[in-house]
Amino acid sequence: MTIERDHHGFDAPVPLGHPARAGLPRGHPTGPGVGDRLPDFKLPDAQGRIVDYHPSRGGAKSVVVFFRSAVW
Amino acid sequence: MRDAYHKFQRAGIEIYAISYDDQAVLREFSEKQKIPYRLLSDVDSTVIERFGILNDQVGRGDAFLTGIPYPGVYITDEDGTVIAKSFHHSYKKRDSPEMLIDAALGTIQLDDDGESASDTTEALRVTAKVHGGKGTIRQGVRRQLVVRCELANGMHLYGEPVPDGMVPTTISLSGPPGLVIEETCAPATTPLHLESMGMTLPIWHGIVDFVIPFYATGELASETRPLDVPAVDLELTVRYQACNDEICLAPQTLALPLRVSLEVVDVPALGMHTGHGQKEGNFSGAPHMARLILRKFRQNPLGLPRLIWKTVGLEWAARRRRAERK
Repeated sequence: MTIERDHHGFDAPVPLGHPARAGLPRGHPTGPGVGDRLPDFKLPDAQGRIVDYHPSRGGAKSVVVFFRSAVW
Repeated sequence: MRDAYHKFQRAGIEIYAISYDDQAVLREFSEKQKIPYRLLSDVDSTVIERFGILNDQVGRGDAFLTGIPYPGVYITDEDGTVIAKSFHHSYKKRDSPEMLIDAALGTIQLDDDGESASDTTEALRVTAKVHGGKGTIRQGVRRQLVVRCELANGMHLYGEPVPDGMVPTTISLSGPPGLVIEETCAPATTPLHLESMGMTLPIWHGIVDFVIPFYATGELASETRPLDVPAVDLELTVRYQACNDEICLAPQTLALPLRVSLEVVDVPALGMHTGHGQKEGNFSGAPHMARLILRKFRQNPLGLPRLIWKTVGLEWAARRRRAERK
């Protein structure tokens, strides 16, 4: 694939305009804001155990990261 | 995140990392890359949608891309309430784990690792250190140069504005092309009231930390090719005037050179990751990629041929652009 740099200065192994290169547009909402309580959610972890977010924190501060993929 | 995990533990902060990957790949990823924190599998992107961060520029017809989020981070307090968040317009840009910990705790937690450069004058000791990533530069990851100024007793530096003839403190960093250097962040000044002159000046005294965020873009470090150089030279310039209640010393300009290494990025072996290193384990992404493609294909069979067609069209357009540039 032709490697082309985007306007942020980053390269990627797919051409410009490809949906894999689509970033967050200006003004687009980004979910819960400062001061909001995070929604409840329950998801399985890598070992198959179900994790219920709020109870699992055990009253600790947390960092919740959303990433695109561990595969690609 | 993995290399900084002990810092999260020390600070008592729990980590949750969520993606649309299935458990099988998260299990291998977690084992091969030795990830000690929770990787959560949101296969149908239900939670991604609940949070409102589904990438809506990727359509149903975009095959395996359907369901990805706009990547970002939420930092919460003990009640699960958001105290800070970080989203960027490029999916390649993100804040270092150290910046997340600092945001959670409300102060900069400087670490012992990494090299620092320092210079000492009559009034001031300046120490500069890269905060995050064991002191290296990495594509897209915002890390910070922390410039600590330790002032001699009674001495102070000026912020802005100050009258003509007085020298405010300016701290700037220069580096190679491809290193994006952001504006220096300074802490709040305290007001110094000079009764005799009828003015109030903004000053810093004691120990003051200035922070300069930076990150590498494609020209310097890229996932599409191996690193061009192992390290780069930066120069920190500190211009200041130190005074106490009685006298002002002559203005000074300090120039501190810093040599900073570039970090090799470690990813699963997949054809497209041409430039990356593989520091640990043999982790082939191919079977996981195949399973992901099949999973999305079953949900929307037309998606895969459409994405291939779209990709081929975009690739031809890219080649035309390259031919025209020559």
